[in-house]
Amino acid sequence: MNYLPYVIGAYAVFAAVLLWDFVVPRLQIRRQLRQARQRAARRAPAAPTGDLSR
Amino acid sequence: MSSAAPHPLVLWFHKLGSPPTFDRFAARWAPWGYLIGLALLGAGLWQALFVVPADYQQGDSFRILYIHVPAAWMSLFVFGLMAFYAAIALIWRIKLCEILAMACAPIGAAFTLITLATGSIWGKPMWGTWWDWDPRLTTELILLFLYLGVMGLYNAIDDRRAAARAAGLLAIVGVVLLPIIRYSVVWWNSLHQGQTIRLFGESSMDASMMAPLWLMVLATKFWFVGSLLTRARADNLRREAGKDWVARLAEPRA
Repeated sequence: MNYLPYVIGAYAVFAAVLLWDFVVPRLQIRRQLRQARQRAARRAPAAPTGDLSR
Repeated sequence: MSSAAPHPLVLWFHKLGSPPTFDRFAARWAPWGYLIGLALLGAGLWQALFVVPADYQQGDSFRILYIHVPAAWMSLFVFGLMAFYAAIALIWRIKLCEILAMACAPIGAAFTLITLATGSIWGKPMWGTWWDWDPRLTTELILLFLYLGVMGLYNAIDDRRAAARAAGLLAIVGVVLLPIIRYSVVWWNSLHQGQTIRLFGESSMDASMMAPLWLMVLATKFWFVGSLLTRARADNLRREAGKDWVARLAEPRA
């Protein structure tokens, strides 16, 4: 195949940009759900430990 | 006075406007968009790289066209769709359309970047230069800046609804650029070649080389569906942060 480095370069850019497009929204969803879990944990009343506080 | 029940499609659209319903819809259908897109992409790339013969003048460098042209078409299509959603959001204040319009911007920017980068890589061996301030290249670069402008404006304002309205307005105004990009090779003396592939009518590209191109065009459309739903879902969750349905969704499953 002639012009091989150019063909590889172009297809590599294509793959890299699509990979970015695939990964970024997934990370955003994961972050939103993690923050929702943290909010829920903050709101939940602390479980009684049975120890008296000083 | 008649009180006809709304059409089931209208009813479904209204239901989809509810954030938890949209979340379920997007979570269910986005993987299908990606899967079908990837299958078509695999078939298209295999044909583009290993089946079609090399061009008699450009050699194998013409294979770059199979990613450059679908990405270029997507860069224009996504911008038009973004402006369409933005217009609906501005006129009828439909929150889901705001979310969809804003989700279009990074995907469109990604396809515009692919278009510019692959065109540049193809241009080096064929034109002898990575870049030229040619009307087609320059207008496509302006399109990338418009996409970045929409994304920047949306993220610069804290109030999501006000941000979406401002960015949506920019998207609507930017639509004027689309016909300029499309006809730039006709209106001005351009280094970029004229229209080679026609949706209606005879293309100046040989029929034996067309199949992978159409596969790639379809693949990018399905990929876009997957990406749009996933990005819209992420923004929907961000806007709805603190609501009970998001907390329930985030609960660790036993």
